Amino acid sequence: MSYTDLKQKIDTGEVVLLDGGIGTEILRHGYTWASHQLKNEPKLNLEIHKDYISAGAHVITTNTFQLSRRSFRNHFASDEHMALQGVANLTDRVGELVNDSVQLADNARKALGRDDVLIAASITTLEWCFRPDKTPDIEKIYDEYLAELTEYSDAGTDIFLFETFNSTPEAVVAIRAAREVGKPGWIALVPYKDGNLLGGESMEQVVDALGPEEPDVLLLNCAPPHHVTAGIEKLAPLWKGPLGVYAHVGKFNPPEWHFTNEYPPDKYLSECKHWHDLGATVIGGCCGTTPEHIALISSSLED
Amino acid sequence: MTYQNLQEKLSSGSLLILDGGIGTEVLRRGVRWRQHGIEDAPDVIRQIHIDYLNAGADVITSHTFNLTKRNFINFFRDTEHMVEIGHGGLETRAEELCHQAIVLAKEALETTGKQGQVPIAGSISPIQHLFRPDLAPSSELCYEHHKECVSVLKDCSVDFIFFEAMNNISELKAALQAGKESNLPLWVSLIPNHHGNLLGGESLVEAAKLARNGGVDVVFLSAAPLEVITQNLPTITNRGITGAKAMIGKYNPPSWKPDFYPRFEQTDQSTPEAYADFARRWKDTGATIIGGGSGTTPEHIATLKSTLI
Repeated sequence: MSYTDLKQKIDTGEVVLLDGGIGTEILRHGYTWASHQLKNEPKLNLEIHKDYISAGAHVITTNTFQLSRRSFRNHFASDEHMALQGVANLTDRVGELVNDSVQLADNARKALGRDDVLIAASITTLEWCFRPDKTPDIEKIYDEYLAELTEYSDAGTDIFLFETFNSTPEAVVAIRAAREVGKPGWIALVPYKDGNLLGGESMEQVVDALGPEEPDVLLLNCAPPHHVTAGIEKLAPLWKGPLGVYAHVGKFNPPEWHFTNEYPPDKYLSECKHWHDLGATVIGGCCGTTPEHIALISSSLED
Repeated sequence: MTYQNLQEKLSSGSLLILDGGIGTEVLRRGVRWRQHGIEDAPDVIRQIHIDYLNAGADVITSHTFNLTKRNFINFFRDTEHMVEIGHGGLETRAEELCHQAIVLAKEALETTGKQGQVPIAGSISPIQHLFRPDLAPSSELCYEHHKECVSVLKDCSVDFIFFEAMNNISELKAALQAGKESNLPLWVSLIPNHHGNLLGGESLVEAAKLARNGGVDVVFLSAAPLEVITQNLPTITNRGITGAKAMIGKYNPPSWKPDFYPRFEQTDQSTPEAYADFARRWKDTGATIIGGGSGTTPEHIATLKSTLI
């Protein structure tokens, strides 16, 4: 399927299914996620993507959350210090890992003969996703986004999924860079229990800031279902474009994830139905969700 | 009692040996780095202390570097957000884990029959990433943070406080103040850069002077490669008791985590003998307490003991 076909599906209001958690699936299979496991466990990455495709996902995401040059550089006092104290070619490694991650997603759809599945590049905020206070100077990050997006695009991704964004200014930069690179940009923002963004903006402010940018899809993600509900209840009546959601289930237990049984697939599905009733049509799962969650949504919500 | 014996030895100018890397040793022994491995593998951590004691360490360091409340909160917007989406009990997690870590160090002392002989250094790291002096918040926040860390370790009855890898002067001052109020003996280690300054660019000599004037018993250089420690050591040895330990290998940070993850590669390129060659130069420069930083192993410490003493 080309993006044009997917867009048509989205525009006609059909349900479009995303995948579920990837980092947390790696943890659930007993591995640490400290290095994304792209190099050490490519087969595990491949199998997770395949599981999500088999479960019914129309769009799968690369295992690249928080993987960026800046993530590595943030561990050092300066470039000079990194050269002295760090392993060689740390930042070059990012390009290689990006390629690997896209390749693994592509191999998964090829292995299942599913050219209709599209690949979204998972890209989060430049600094820590849950720390709005750390957002870098907005005036200075466009080129960083442009370089990063070009790399994903060249590697063969179909969509940029800007996920777990905590405020609109950085989202605006990201969507503009996506436009320049020439591929669709989806924006997923973190809601909070009060129905605002994690960074404090109201949904009115979100719509004012992002409406003119016309992101291909606006989503809410990486918050527990009740936060997502609070956010979508406020956002849905205001947003004219396509709307999506994917909540996390379980608890963040840094640096890992605590899996709970609070939202087994059937209970997560009933949340999804509620979000769908409110107007969300692009639906998936965030941290802690599994292929079983996606499979149940696929069999129940698409009919 | 224990610390007093140590201090007498230090004052007499005799050379003492500290332990080596702990976090890196936890990873090398195959333990997963979550919450310092304390819950998953207490036996491994106890054994690491035992191995350092058997290697001849005169002081052991608690496995508490970077184990702080703030380290958990840093992953969230704020405490409220942490309570909302985080695992239960994260607010008190670090404190509990510190207690467990020190119990493990004490058990190691019992197992080796060295309780009352070898003191436990309560290790406290910089408030943010040890390599990011630029991230240190206001001195008020640093003070509050270190006050809390000191108080947790004091409750665990460590023998003294070891502020490790301090990288900027404002935080150093705050830590010293917090340390002083505990009435525990204090040691400080400073990260030098290869331009002869603190990692953050301020004066290393000034930092060492501040520490000594602030009542610190031993000032170390640490958390830098062997050559950088060696190059900078002469600038701080002349005014009081000085220690040294270096990192070996190359830091290989995780691809997503924003905090320190003690993974070092190519550590085999600094063999115990090669490390001891550098340590001999430190001793000649005037260092009287020598240990190992990230990447070093009980073998490094055993070799220091047998070749330097």
